Amino acid sequence: MAVVEPAPSFAIGPEIDEAEAKAGIRGRRRGGNLGTWIPAGLIAFVVIACFLGPTLLSLPSPVGGNILESNQPAFSPGHFLGTDPNGNDILSRLLNGGQSSLWIALAVNILGLVIGGTLGALSGYVGGVADTLIMRVLDVLIAFPSLVLTLAVAQALGPSMTNTIFALAFFSIPAFARVARSAVLRLREMPFMAAAKLAGTPAWRMLFKHLAPNIAPQLITFGMLGMGIVIIIEGALSFLGLGIPDPAPSWGNMVATGQLSLSATPMLVVWPSVALLVTVLAFNLLGENLRARWSGR
Amino acid sequence: MTATATTPRVPVSRDPRVSRLTRVTGSPVLRLIVKRLLMAVPIMLGVTILTFWVLSLIPGNAAEQLLGAEATPEDVALLERQLGLDQPGVVRYLEWLQGAVTGDLGNSIVSRQPVSDVLADRLPVTGELVLLAFLISLVLAIPVALLAAHKPGGIMDRISMVVSTLGLSVANYVLALILVLVFAVTLGWLPAIGYVPLEDGLWANLEAMILPSAAIGFPLFCFYTRFLRGDLVDQMQQEEYVTTARAKGVGSWSVLIKHAFRNSSFGLITVVGLNLGALIGGTVIIEQIFALPGIGQMLLQAINTRDFVVVQAAVVIFALVAVVANLVVDLLYAVLDPRIRYGSR
Repeated sequence: MAVVEPAPSFAIGPEIDEAEAKAGIRGRRRGGNLGTWIPAGLIAFVVIACFLGPTLLSLPSPVGGNILESNQPAFSPGHFLGTDPNGNDILSRLLNGGQSSLWIALAVNILGLVIGGTLGALSGYVGGVADTLIMRVLDVLIAFPSLVLTLAVAQALGPSMTNTIFALAFFSIPAFARVARSAVLRLREMPFMAAAKLAGTPAWRMLFKHLAPNIAPQLITFGMLGMGIVIIIEGALSFLGLGIPDPAPSWGNMVATGQLSLSATPMLVVWPSVALLVTVLAFNLLGENLRARWSGR
Repeated sequence: MTATATTPRVPVSRDPRVSRLTRVTGSPVLRLIVKRLLMAVPIMLGVTILTFWVLSLIPGNAAEQLLGAEATPEDVALLERQLGLDQPGVVRYLEWLQGAVTGDLGNSIVSRQPVSDVLADRLPVTGELVLLAFLISLVLAIPVALLAAHKPGGIMDRISMVVSTLGLSVANYVLALILVLVFAVTLGWLPAIGYVPLEDGLWANLEAMILPSAAIGFPLFCFYTRFLRGDLVDQMQQEEYVTTARAKGVGSWSVLIKHAFRNSSFGLITVVGLNLGALIGGTVIIEQIFALPGIGQMLLQAINTRDFVVVQAAVVIFALVAVVANLVVDLLYAVLDPRIRYGSR
């Protein structure tokens, strides 16, 4: 085949391909529903810990710690994971930082899913010139080194949560559009679509009543993988000091500050790294599993 | 999709993807090259316009940045005029494009150095980083995927699945710090940061590059392993040529390597090509962590000083690499796949 459709993915991070979904078949047979429920439970745990944990455990504030209490080891009284060089409680920073990571990832993926999904579905359904035009514009976005622009925008507008969300959402659109388009192209040939069309269903109704419910599972599955990707990129931005502004915590800027004293206090890097790894892993596992399921093989 | 009912003098490909342009030109490979080159031009134009537009939206410019907070508005206006920043965006873009086409990417606003000189200094560093990362990932991924696919569900397969799933979930900046912690801080085998030019000795240079390229290469290795393993298992289970070869009494390793892998390598080439664009973006943060004087580091510095001429150049380089990689993948297909080479489809 001369024309190779690029695998749908954000411009950075692990790329995904259909062949991978096939690799998941065996796992499904072996694990039954466990492959879905374990990562889903893990995600639920992370979400609950991050959003309710600070209140339930009555943790100290993640900022404005007492400098006299700096660098306390783990399990010291009042500080389960110890404190950082500024005397802030590490557990509190970890959980509060997770809140922003999760919010950003959710917002970016919802924006990407709705806008990209609509564009892609429209493109695939209408076809012709509109399809070519939309897809060429998205090709530009895919060829674009998105992290670079995100960096420039974040630096210029001043690092903030809203700016991070908009910058990342912009570049997640083409990936969702591609997934939606290929799903619609498959559906278009289905008998039920022809039946609906013959019954005189207007185009908008075709899109929202017949296509949308059918492509939603695939888009949501892709969104799960997108959650992991966005959490990693957001961490990268914060790591470079262009995401969540200091002193507010984020997993990325916790890794970055910890890096300064890597040899003396490696745990400062380890905790946020573990949080990143577990969260991203859970989203990836869930996404992979759902995809193996939807690919229907 | 049916072929249009024309009466052609030349044999017409039934494939609707083959355009009229390609029907008239000669060799299938040549017309593919022409077609893909033509497609790459609007993409590159789009990327440069988009960058220019976004950079122009950003408040504040290099003139203000260079003069500092003390500067009077008159000073800023004067410098803006000298730097050509007072021109409307369209004019500046067209001027820039005119230069870029002839290889002149302008002068850095901050250092006044020609951007092409800066790029010449920094491209080799990033290039070596990317090349080593690919080397590490492929040299490891191919044998591991073959071992895993030889016995699906076997011990090698399971280990490789667990490792690659983990590897795909770890951020490269985290991985980089773990590598530094283990190999530089704890074991002291390799330097933690810094760059040694190739002129100072191959080994010294490699020593400095191993950790950064491993940090980029490991997630790639995981991705390629998964991809190749999945594809190999598919080929082995579903393809008829595998059954034929087996029936002829060809050994299982031989079928795997000589038959299945040869076919799977096509998919791998595609994925490697498509990765290149994403990969080169990932070098930004790794170069920052390891203090490597590559394109990524240049870009971050340029962003901080609002040196948009340099930012623009870096974006163009990154996009160009992605587009060219795609192009090369397509052409490799054409060269390697006899069905395209002889134009039978």
